Amino acid sequence: MNRVLLLLRKDALVLRRSPLLLGILLAYPLTIAVLVGLVASYASAKPRVALVDEDNLPPTVTIGGKRFHVDRTIQQVSKNVHLVHLSREAAAEQLKNGKVVAVVTVPPGFITTLQEMVHSPRLEVQLSQGTISSRVDQQVQALVYSLNRQLQRAYIGTNLGYVNLILYGGKGSFLGRPISVLGLGRAQKVLAGMPQTAAVRNLEDFIHDARLALANTGDALNATAHPIELVRAHDRGRTWVLSANVQAYALALTITFLTLMLAAGSLAAERDENVIGRLARGLVGLGHLVWAKVALAAALALVLGMAIAIAFGVIIQVGGVTGGEPWHRLPLLVVGLLLAGGSLGALGALLGALAREARSASLVALLVVLPIVFLGLIPSEIVPPAGWASSALPFTHAFQLFRSALFDLSPWGEVAKQALWLVALGGIFGALARLGARRLLA
Amino acid sequence: MSSEHALLSARGAGRTFGQTTALEPVDLDISPGDALALVGPNGAGKSTLLALLAGALEPSTGRIERRKGVRVGWAPQRPAQYGRLSARENLELFARLEGEAEPEEAAARLLREFGLPGKASPSANLSVGNRQRVNLAIAFLGRPEVLLLDEPTAALDPEQRRRLWERATALRDSGGAFAFATQNLDEIERHADRVAALRDGRLVFAGPADEYDRSRTDTLFA
Repeated sequence: MNRVLLLLRKDALVLRRSPLLLGILLAYPLTIAVLVGLVASYASAKPRVALVDEDNLPPTVTIGGKRFHVDRTIQQVSKNVHLVHLSREAAAEQLKNGKVVAVVTVPPGFITTLQEMVHSPRLEVQLSQGTISSRVDQQVQALVYSLNRQLQRAYIGTNLGYVNLILYGGKGSFLGRPISVLGLGRAQKVLAGMPQTAAVRNLEDFIHDARLALANTGDALNATAHPIELVRAHDRGRTWVLSANVQAYALALTITFLTLMLAAGSLAAERDENVIGRLARGLVGLGHLVWAKVALAAALALVLGMAIAIAFGVIIQVGGVTGGEPWHRLPLLVVGLLLAGGSLGALGALLGALAREARSASLVALLVVLPIVFLGLIPSEIVPPAGWASSALPFTHAFQLFRSALFDLSPWGEVAKQALWLVALGGIFGALARLGARRLLA
Repeated sequence: MSSEHALLSARGAGRTFGQTTALEPVDLDISPGDALALVGPNGAGKSTLLALLAGALEPSTGRIERRKGVRVGWAPQRPAQYGRLSARENLELFARLEGEAEPEEAAARLLREFGLPGKASPSANLSVGNRQRVNLAIAFLGRPEVLLLDEPTAALDPEQRRRLWERATALRDSGGAFAFATQNLDEIERHADRVAALRDGRLVFAGPADEYDRSRTDTLFA
């Protein structure tokens, strides 16, 4: 073990003396962290949406005797999107060049049609193409749903007024014209004063049944309007899925690229420096040599991973992004980074042993790492063979471990499962690297 | 000297690299007091034999026997050291790996003895001669009883050559032994008491230096 530490110390010193490599190692995680932070901030930023008001929306509007605050509705929408008032032409131009992601147009006559309560007025929505447009689509649908619910209450209230007019009679208005209605109650009284013929009795029975039925109209209308009512509980999860996912990908990507290349390059470099023979003649066994590279990769993964996690946490903290801060999960991340780094280091050592020269080893590692990452990004539900292949490589397990460590409320089961995978894969690749290391002596 | 007293022996030790035979099976002993010169043209198998004896290579056939407890120092033809580490750091690292009780002291002593710069500049920046001195100094770590030197004087100045042979001779005189590969016929005459001649991977002569007919050399290198 002491010899492994001696080699590890030597590798750290060699790394420190390689300014270009050291610069890349320092710049890489910081760049990744900044990019991830920007992505997370972008994902949480309010999309810019144009509002084309061709009906000159008033601050308030009365529908079915109920007063609606249009300005408050717009304020409510502005919590989720950045609403900008534009002309139709300007909105079309900005949608075209991507300055707004959607255009919501209130056409002329919208409020009048709404107040008439006969036809449904239309809101026009135009969306840009892109991942964020689906989010905006959802926001607009949510807005229309919310407005419809408020309008439904007004409509139901108005309709119930008509029902009451039919039940009890009186004066009212329809389509803006005043009307006078006798009402079922008063009609029943009129019939009671008439000679009780069979026809009158039939009418009395009908009126009785109709009054009973109409008495339940309110509940029936409410039930028709909301067959299922969704009640939203205001409770947040531990962290926000997107930022946890993005962090997990950033961590897995960075350490996969760098540890694989470093482990492969540094093992092959022992041969390039002509030192491998000196070491192998009893000073350091080939197994120890492979272990030293695994330890180097694990240490590097830990340092880089923590740098990314901390930088990411600071960025989203400063940026005010809700959730996703890794602070409470740093201890779990430490374990994950060490295991993932070790497993990837073992794979890197295998590549280094097979390539035998440092430059070739780094190139091979670079060529190998791309398909490893791409395989890991393909959902196994869509392409099962890609899932099987990526199961045999550390990247996917590293990603799943980080994601679970950062996101899951109770991550222990998943973390343990992925940790076992990483240990097993590390053991297999390490054993193969030990066998392959004999090639370095040739 | 009989093989029972040998410090280091090759017993039918040969080595192939893929389809290429670098060294046919060889029997050779290095005993206390030996100063063995390995001679032969380029590609004869001298370096391979030294690497096998040093344990840096595993024989494809046969075996290498080392008397229990015997320590071996080896300086390969191409300097074997970390280019990003200074001479001192290289020496300290290998001193620790060799199990030197006082690695810093051992490194400082060898820096002095080999006239190496104590500066922290990487050994990759040293001159060819100084890199070879570091290479040789590493071979003296761990207080070896047997020294295996592969063309050790090729890049050394005359003063360093003299010092090297003094050290090697002192080791031999104290009951150790040394073997060296060389292309320099004067070195055979001045420093070797036994000669092993190789050609095309085969041992074609092994015996006392005074029995080694120098006229054979012309044939050997022809």
